[in-house]
Amino acid sequence: MQFDTRGLNIMIVDNDRTVLEMLQIRLEVAGYNTSTARTGRAALETMRHARPAALILDINVPDVSGLEVLAALTPPGCKPPFPILVMGRKLSADDVQRAINRGARDCMAKPFSGADILERVARLLRRAVAPPTPAAQPAAYI
Amino acid sequence: MQTQRQVDGGLAASAATTFDALAWEIELAGARCIFLDKLIGDLMQTMPVEERTRLMEGMHAVDLLSQHLTGLSAFARKVSENVSEEVLVPVQAALDDITLGVLADRMSTAFGGEEMGINQGDDAGDLDLF
Repeated sequence: MQFDTRGLNIMIVDNDRTVLEMLQIRLEVAGYNTSTARTGRAALETMRHARPAALILDINVPDVSGLEVLAALTPPGCKPPFPILVMGRKLSADDVQRAINRGARDCMAKPFSGADILERVARLLRRAVAPPTPAAQPAAYI
Repeated sequence: MQTQRQVDGGLAASAATTFDALAWEIELAGARCIFLDKLIGDLMQTMPVEERTRLMEGMHAVDLLSQHLTGLSAFARKVSENVSEEVLVPVQAALDDITLGVLADRMSTAFGGEEMGINQGDDAGDLDLF
């Protein structure tokens, strides 16, 4: 099912100015709005005032790490308030597992292309709004 | 962030980091081309049909440039994934030759240098003419 993602706000958190600006341009040309932060602390502060439709989060941001941002957004036993894509250089299997356990929906190893990120964000948003498939229903209903 | 390394008193970076930083910068340049391409496309809608031909040529050129940069970025990215972390590249002299201040600052930071906080639109250092 197609749905309109134009105008949705995607927050990008990365300390690297080149990556931040590249992602911002690619997402805005694709019709999204963006907000940005270079540290985990700044990201959490921004999200207190404006909730994004999705978050792209580098795991290695300074101040408050990406994993700590995930933990702050997702209290134990809760789902994150919006879909989160974690990215990072040389992501280990442990990094990925920890990110998923703390609420990330997807992980992406750097480096990647601008086209790659657009595809992943679109998929992230599709999954967030898609109605549950029969396979995802609780067993008692099948 | 990379740990700062030195060769002969100047900044050095592993070959992998050097190609990685290049790949991101080329990818950013490509993103700017895509932005420009969209801008020209939007502009074209507002122009009389007879005036669109030249703009169309410009749009093709930008599109070609964008593909060119995408190819170069993919090349640099792939090299960065396959080249040794042990090989050190003395990048200081090459950085000193970059006349766009914000670009030199971003690349130097990627190589482990201290960020100078030069931003897009800052007048100082964009062109070192004087």
